[in-house]
Amino acid sequence: MSANARYLRLAAGLVAIAALMVIPMNFNRYGLFILSQWAVMTIAAMGLNLTLGYAGQVSLAQGAFVGVGAYASAILTTHGWPLPAALGVSILASFIVGWLLGYPALRVQHHYLAFVTLAFSTLAFLVFRNESWLTGGIYGISNIPRPHIFGFATNKPLPFYYLCLGSLGLVSLAVWWLIRSPWGRAFMALRENPLRAQSLGVDTRRYTLMAFAIGSALGGVAGGLYAPLTQYIDPVPFNLSLSLDLLMMVIVGGSGFFFGPFLGAMIAVLLPEWLRFTQGYYLMLYAIAVILLLIWSPTGILGILDRFLANRRTRVASALRAVAKSRLETVQ
Amino acid sequence: MSAVLEVTNIKKSFGGITAVDGVSFDVRQGEILGLIGPNGCGKSTLFNCILGQLTSTAGEVKVDGRAVTGMRPSELNRLGVSRTFQLLQVFPKLSVRENLILAGQEHQGNMMSRLVGRSDAGLSEAANQMIGFFKLDHLAGEQAGGLSYGQQKLLDAAMAFMGGPRLVLLDEPAGGVNPSMLVDLKDRLVAINREKNATFVVIEHNMEFVMSLCSRVMVMAEGKVLAMGRPDEVRANPAVIDAYLGH
Repeated sequence: MSANARYLRLAAGLVAIAALMVIPMNFNRYGLFILSQWAVMTIAAMGLNLTLGYAGQVSLAQGAFVGVGAYASAILTTHGWPLPAALGVSILASFIVGWLLGYPALRVQHHYLAFVTLAFSTLAFLVFRNESWLTGGIYGISNIPRPHIFGFATNKPLPFYYLCLGSLGLVSLAVWWLIRSPWGRAFMALRENPLRAQSLGVDTRRYTLMAFAIGSALGGVAGGLYAPLTQYIDPVPFNLSLSLDLLMMVIVGGSGFFFGPFLGAMIAVLLPEWLRFTQGYYLMLYAIAVILLLIWSPTGILGILDRFLANRRTRVASALRAVAKSRLETVQ
Repeated sequence: MSAVLEVTNIKKSFGGITAVDGVSFDVRQGEILGLIGPNGCGKSTLFNCILGQLTSTAGEVKVDGRAVTGMRPSELNRLGVSRTFQLLQVFPKLSVRENLILAGQEHQGNMMSRLVGRSDAGLSEAANQMIGFFKLDHLAGEQAGGLSYGQQKLLDAAMAFMGGPRLVLLDEPAGGVNPSMLVDLKDRLVAINREKNATFVVIEHNMEFVMSLCSRVMVMAEGKVLAMGRPDEVRANPAVIDAYLGH
């Protein structure tokens, strides 16, 4: 990438961050809630994007990990724990459970793995619903407090939105680092050709488990923020449909692209609000749009952009080659 | 010279079919051993058994005198045993340079240092050298999946050398590579063999390539070793002519 393009990207990034901070200042309570929800769901989708998009491990359980994180955070903060400590437990709990769920992936892949994770999703839902001594059962947990961060109260919607946005920023930096590190390369190797990866010394077992554990831990982060966002949780939001929604966000945004989850979550969370005027037709429109998108570009919205850029690169490269060749012929 | 690879009585059966039937041989330090034989005679299966990609039914494999039977391919690779595949096995969505860095990164540091350390695991320079060595300079930034078949073959071979292996098993490196590129490939292999004192076992059907590259040739037929010796001896062996080379 040329220096200019890099500065352009940096500038675009800064503008986007500034817009995300400044524009919502005028939003009402509901608007801020939706935007906070977008930030939280983006974190969860980034986790799934890591497991599925980069490492190629199908998972229909991301919603369950959001649930694990949400319950851990809700239970602990209602018992007087500060949110950062509770978040730590959310992350650890979902990391460990995610690691364990990775073991089946060492034996089964693709749609078989989807079924294993689907079963886990159902299991987690049943635990949330039936173990009322811990989770409050169908009555759930209410009065979840919002935290004080460095002495700032986040009771009001705007400060809490900033908390979510800040968390999204930190998670983004961490994920960016991860996918650019040798680990990220090993994850992609796992996705593209595990057999070859093994023969190059890549410990595919350990990386598979890590892909599950880290992806799930990000689900836990999202859950840990979701609980104080809604201030009330019950089992219903964490059933299979959340996992499917998150999968949709990853696929629609562009699986295996860094910014895919941002876009996917935006469409899944904000589009229903914008399409409210269509009333009952929203879901139908959404379904049709998704079908058309995936026919046109199976790699999601960012896949379209990627194809466009790749085509242009190829054209530039072949033009350069032609020039070099003609020079060579002239010299001879 | 000591043996880098010792294979003793390896057997592999798939149901009722015995693909490899009690093969024993050893490969000396710095040697280039050719492995030839008709299709389906068990050459690739033998490779897979040696490298732990298949679990052999019986037999033993030693690398540098150390028993490695049943070891996982990734562990074996980190001991300095590398391979190429008969069918294309590059990472199509990664660039040529990224493919090479990936091929070497697991030999650098440990899991933790690879997470917190440099993005290229300190291998950019080594990758660039390998790119230059295999004459892939103009393709360094291209996605590997967009390369021609022959170029991908070269990349595949280059990847096998990134970890600085002591022993490399090459499965039909010349298959589908055009004649001029083939000369390049042979030059590169000979150079690495001499400079790095790397040991090779090469499966190949291109007789000219095998006979000019290898110091010894082993012939397999129906899962067994049919003959072993210098290229000219093997070429003159009536049993080999009968089973494989033809009259």
